[in-house]
Amino acid sequence: MLFLLSLKLLIKIELTMKLLITIFCCFLFVTMCNSQERYLTKSGAINFFSKTAMEDITADNSQVLSIVDASSGKMAISILMKSFLFKKALMQEHFNENYVESDKYPKATFKGDILNFDAVNETASMLKVKGILTIHGVSKEIIIEANFTKTNDAILVVGEFLINLADFEVEIPAVVAKNIAKNIKVTFNFNHTPYKK
Amino acid sequence: MKTKKIIIGILVLGILSAFVAYKMYNKPHVNVGEASADISISAEKILGDFSADEMTANLKYLEKIIEVKGVISELNIEKQKGIITLKTTDDFGSVLCHLSEEATKKMSVFQVGEIITVKGICTGYLMDVILIKSEIIN
Repeated sequence: MLFLLSLKLLIKIELTMKLLITIFCCFLFVTMCNSQERYLTKSGAINFFSKTAMEDITADNSQVLSIVDASSGKMAISILMKSFLFKKALMQEHFNENYVESDKYPKATFKGDILNFDAVNETASMLKVKGILTIHGVSKEIIIEANFTKTNDAILVVGEFLINLADFEVEIPAVVAKNIAKNIKVTFNFNHTPYKK
Repeated sequence: MKTKKIIIGILVLGILSAFVAYKMYNKPHVNVGEASADISISAEKILGDFSADEMTANLKYLEKIIEVKGVISELNIEKQKGIITLKTTDDFGSVLCHLSEEATKKMSVFQVGEIITVKGICTGYLMDVILIKSEIIN
């Protein structure tokens, strides 16, 4: 009788162990899947363009860090202000020292949610990204439209939007006010690849 | 006669200042290849400095011409521009050197695992320390 009871107990323990191991394996599998769901680029491109009757000013930055979490549809972008390159050295100097004050605010960031991210597939689809954009130490909620394309080994995000300089407290001196547009066109192109490390 | 002299004087001054203004407006970018490095450092040390205290490291390294020595962990070309990644013992960070057009042409002789010295302008720290307009020293 006692023997039977202990046998039953043993079987019970064994079953629980099996269950635990299965659960553990499932958990491991899920986390492994999750880690593959991150897409990243360290060389995303951003261009900004200011058009006035006086002159056109443009600057490029091709060291943008952008991360897309495909499981949650979240997106995070970090930009170094000093990485923007202008045609004229003097413009670059003014941009960094006087307008965006890149010594004080070396980075611009964006953190947001890609709305309806599940719809992303091989054919390009226009989606809205809602999030917080921080430039020059000022944070503002914005909605950006972008074209998303997802293939097996890449997520491509391309789009453009306007930013108003006054919104981010970027002050332009009166002398050059005619040369710099109030609204700057920002174009971006990020080719994310699966993150592995 | 006197007014003539004054007018000529003003004219000369005007032309001179216009010339100076024009020169300043067209001031050339820093030539990384010709300029000497402000700081020489290992990839390990510069990443360590940034990950330990980014604020202080920003003050020390930003916009400076930095000569970095390290082991190549990756060689990439994106949009005709070469990118050399220098290995560190940090799990996530490295030093990313974005090369100039001329340096990109010289990149093909290098291989992963080799030791390299690169000179470039430091623009900051994201996941990695970033150098732009980089030139290969050896």
